[in-house]
Amino acid sequence: MSKSTHDVSNEVVVRTIVRKRLTLRSLVREEKFLYVVSLVVFFTIWHLAATRGNGDSALVTPWATLQGLYDMMSSPLGGETLVGHTWNSLRRVLIGFSIAVCFGIPLGLLLGISETASAILRPLVDVFRPMPPLAWISLSILWFGIGEEPKIFIIFLASFIPSVLNAYNGVRLIEPELYDVVRVMGGSRWDEIKQVVVPASMPAISAGLQLSITSAWMGVLAAELVSSNSGLGYIIILGMQNSDPQMVLGGMVMIAAVAWVLTASMEKIDMMLCPWRREIKGL
Amino acid sequence: MNKHVKISAENVSKEFIQKGTQRVPVLKDISLQVFDQELLVVLGPGQSGKTTLLRIIAGLEKPTQGRITLDGEEIRGPGPDRGLVFQSYMLFPWKTVEANVRLGLEMAQVPKEKHAETVRHYLDLVGLNGFEKYYPHQLSGGMKQRVGIARAFSTQPKVMLMDEPFGQLDAQTRLFMERETERIWLSDKRTTIFITNNIDEALLLGDRIVTLEGKLPGRMKKSYEVNLPRPRDPMDMEFLKLRHTITSEQELTL
Ligand SMILES: Nc1ncnc2c1ncn2[C@@H]1O[C@H](COP(=O)(O)OP(=O)(O)OP(=O)(O)O)[C@@H](O)[C@H]1O
Ligand SMILES: [Mg+2]
Repeated sequence: MSKSTHDVSNEVVVRTIVRKRLTLRSLVREEKFLYVVSLVVFFTIWHLAATRGNGDSALVTPWATLQGLYDMMSSPLGGETLVGHTWNSLRRVLIGFSIAVCFGIPLGLLLGISETASAILRPLVDVFRPMPPLAWISLSILWFGIGEEPKIFIIFLASFIPSVLNAYNGVRLIEPELYDVVRVMGGSRWDEIKQVVVPASMPAISAGLQLSITSAWMGVLAAELVSSNSGLGYIIILGMQNSDPQMVLGGMVMIAAVAWVLTASMEKIDMMLCPWRREIKGL
Repeated sequence: MNKHVKISAENVSKEFIQKGTQRVPVLKDISLQVFDQELLVVLGPGQSGKTTLLRIIAGLEKPTQGRITLDGEEIRGPGPDRGLVFQSYMLFPWKTVEANVRLGLEMAQVPKEKHAETVRHYLDLVGLNGFEKYYPHQLSGGMKQRVGIARAFSTQPKVMLMDEPFGQLDAQTRLFMERETERIWLSDKRTTIFITNNIDEALLLGDRIVTLEGKLPGRMKKSYEVNLPRPRDPMDMEFLKLRHTITSEQELTL
């Protein structure tokens, strides 16, 4: 490669600076250490709390919780193992969430793009926005009975509003001159949407997905707690009715684990949707 | 020199309506001719309607009065025959350098086979080969504006409109980019309107300099021919003389 004169001023901002790495790394090490210490202390206290008293406590040891988890995975409860119940909850979430996102994001974009659409639909969004999705549980059971539909409906409601609002705000925060770039090149309104509106609002849309999936997961548990004969919410209720803390705690651990997996997947999806932010995020 | 008139502004005025009712006159009675293959510099202080003038020529704003023609035809809207370089770059952060430059080609429906070659050509022109896959946030300010310039060139406009393109750069990079601009302009003599608030930049680059008055609404003040050989030396006597003339005449209005 030849070095021409104008290479001189081509300085590239590379985010991984060697000098920084050293101090950063030691910091991370320190943090990891503290992280582990914190967890060990937590589990020790849990264990001590559970073993104190006369053994009739409503709290079981961490170890017993793990055993409970293992038992529930191998022997069925209410017709299914823990894995089956987890899948039931997850499937509901994925269905409700997908429907919500498929309608919510385009609707949010439309509200952002079109003043008319916004004038007509914004009032409706504003009316329904403050209503917690869980407030719909009784109504949805009245409307849809006790099958899958009321649960999916609750999940849909829980994830629809964040999808709409984030897409909408994403569009509204777009720097107006970006449209001028397209217009100056002779682009059409459709080019503006394709080249500017969608990609520029993608980070906000992606943030909306994260919110939506979290609130969908809370929604499914609530719906299952109220009426269900499968799913993780059902396991917890069953454990409570049977006064079986092992079962309740096992269910809770599973709920947390799935929530963690969902959040992590959403971060992966965020990387895929907004690849240009990869380095920015690492700052 | 060929004195074919490329762009002609006839008594252009512009008023904006602010806060619903308040009318703000931004440009008043601008008449201006830009000749073919000319590098015309519009020199004006901050907030004198420079960007507005360029946006009207680009077709992004409509003049309240008067009209502007390009090759004799009235400008009625934006189009790829005018390339615009923005004061604040306006690159698409979600696109790589290469994809940013390709944008105009996609919209002009240039056949796909030609994209790679054209993009390479203009990245070469601005000295950015090797940086095709970088995202804008990884580039320095000077490099960002080179992408902006390559992007504006990619649709092969009849005129280039450059709005204070180096206003955000440090002095050293700025001087360097001015030299680059001269080199690029000399390489194909594309008719260019270059906006600046910096007298040295104006004298380094312009075939002709027109000045805008300091207060809103911006009015045309004077026009100066810069008959100095290129590349120009800012320490040259003639350069300094002209600089003095323009500065003192400009200050009278402030
Ligand atoms: N779209 C608009 N709507 C309302 N007012 C506007 C609009 N665009 C510009 N103005 C007004 O015109 C004035 C001059 O703007 P303009 O950007 O053309 O000046 P400028 O000389 O380019 O300034 P700068 O040196 O900051 O780049 C601004 O202060 C603003 O009040
Ligand atoms: Mg300006």
